[in-house]
Amino acid sequence: MRATLLFAGSLVIALAAWQFLSSFVFNPFLIPPPLVVLQTAAPMAKSGEIFRHVAISLARVGVGFVTGCAAAIVLGVLLGRIQLVNELLDPIIELLRFLSPTAMIPIAVIWFGIGETSKYFLIFWGTFFIVLINTTAGVMRAPIIRQRAAQCLGASALQIFLMVVIPSAAPYIVTGMRIAMASSFMSIIPAEILAADSGIGFLLQQSSVLLQTNRIFVALLTICVLGFVFDRLFRIAVDRMLSRYMSYVALT
Amino acid sequence: MVGYDGEEGVALLAVRNVRKLFGDDTQHDVALDGIDLEVAQGEFVCLLGPSGCGKSTLLNILAGFEGATSGAVDFEGAPVRGAGKDRVMFFQDAGAALLPWLTVEENVRFALRVRKLPKAEWPAIIDKYLTMVDLAEHRHKFPAQLSGGMRQRLQIARALAVEPKVLLMDEPFGALDALTRRRMHAFLLDIWQRTRTTIVFVTHDIAEAVTLADRICVMSPGPGSRITEVMRVDLARPRDLADPRAGQLFKRVEALFA
Repeated sequence: MRATLLFAGSLVIALAAWQFLSSFVFNPFLIPPPLVVLQTAAPMAKSGEIFRHVAISLARVGVGFVTGCAAAIVLGVLLGRIQLVNELLDPIIELLRFLSPTAMIPIAVIWFGIGETSKYFLIFWGTFFIVLINTTAGVMRAPIIRQRAAQCLGASALQIFLMVVIPSAAPYIVTGMRIAMASSFMSIIPAEILAADSGIGFLLQQSSVLLQTNRIFVALLTICVLGFVFDRLFRIAVDRMLSRYMSYVALT
Repeated sequence: MVGYDGEEGVALLAVRNVRKLFGDDTQHDVALDGIDLEVAQGEFVCLLGPSGCGKSTLLNILAGFEGATSGAVDFEGAPVRGAGKDRVMFFQDAGAALLPWLTVEENVRFALRVRKLPKAEWPAIIDKYLTMVDLAEHRHKFPAQLSGGMRQRLQIARALAVEPKVLLMDEPFGALDALTRRRMHAFLLDIWQRTRTTIVFVTHDIAEAVTLADRICVMSPGPGSRITEVMRVDLARPRDLADPRAGQLFKRVEALFA
């Protein structure tokens, strides 16, 4: 209850500050006031224009994120579990992870064109390294005591791996996925600004060229809401399905 | 090699001239320098020594987690190769040793599952051991919801559920408060007397060793630790440290570390 009130209060303060900056500090062209943004958004929503862009951006994030997570978890487990693989690949990963998805846009466009594949690739790229590093850390930090305890109860190497190591790493993996999801929502925008003919980023770019600040604001707000909603959904899903793996973190 | 015949007084666990070096050929530390130890079936042996004397290393070798650099470790007359459920290790950090995402009951079930017992037998065994450690009414709680002593009792139940021949305990109650520790001593002795499971118990607490052990093996400070003194404790249990004979023993052991 208190949290809800504070959340509402925070929104009210932000709206007031927004209106104030628009009317008295800058001007309504540079910062369109809340009401104008709402008036701009309504027809865009009614015609379905905004939802088309949202759907396309979401599909790109979805494909890139899911494939990125899947690949990163598989490789991360290998890196965390097999010393030789780790020693061979870690130096490369430590170098490549500094190439943000934005840095990869120019080459991605040459490799894959401006269609969907290049967007999938860029989101995949951004997701992959974040989840990989967290998965590896989680697998490596699975307490040796816990593995040994299972071992002397008679667990096989496979049982220890599946029933002890992976669940021990789960909080790390999930945290990595959550960070990667936020980062995906950030990196889809530059990808669409530079090389796309649809999506929220394209809407931003197009509105900017036409100096439509009100439409830019609609797009920016849409990004905020999308990121927020999906982060919340992710947390709720984790709480529902994985809470027993997440809640003990304070213990170890 | 002498075969193990399971007779009373024949060593269940035999350690002969075990040395353990850490490091490589050119630069190494000698952790254990010639350990000899025999543990009989049903015996309660305490390994007593100061921190860093290699007690835990020796226990890890007995468990099969680590190999000795030289020397022999035989269990039931056969060399120890790797860990096995006949020698179950019991850790001080129960929070790390238990599976925190499983409930009390599920933690015991995990042991039965890896022991490959028929599922039909699980409920009865789970009930038996949870009742034995007095956790039956907490069966649906998670380890994080238990006190330190309760977690250790759960670890005991889980270990007993695989019916080990030896329980290897590495300063198991070192992280508990003094009152809980005393209760755990009484509790462990009760379990030991009921199940006659052989126990090798590592501690740096003289009072704990005097309270629990049939035999106290005193280890010299590391590096290059060895067993310098073996004392038999022929006092009836439960023991009272205020008893003059227990007090004398305590002083004799204490003098070794002076």
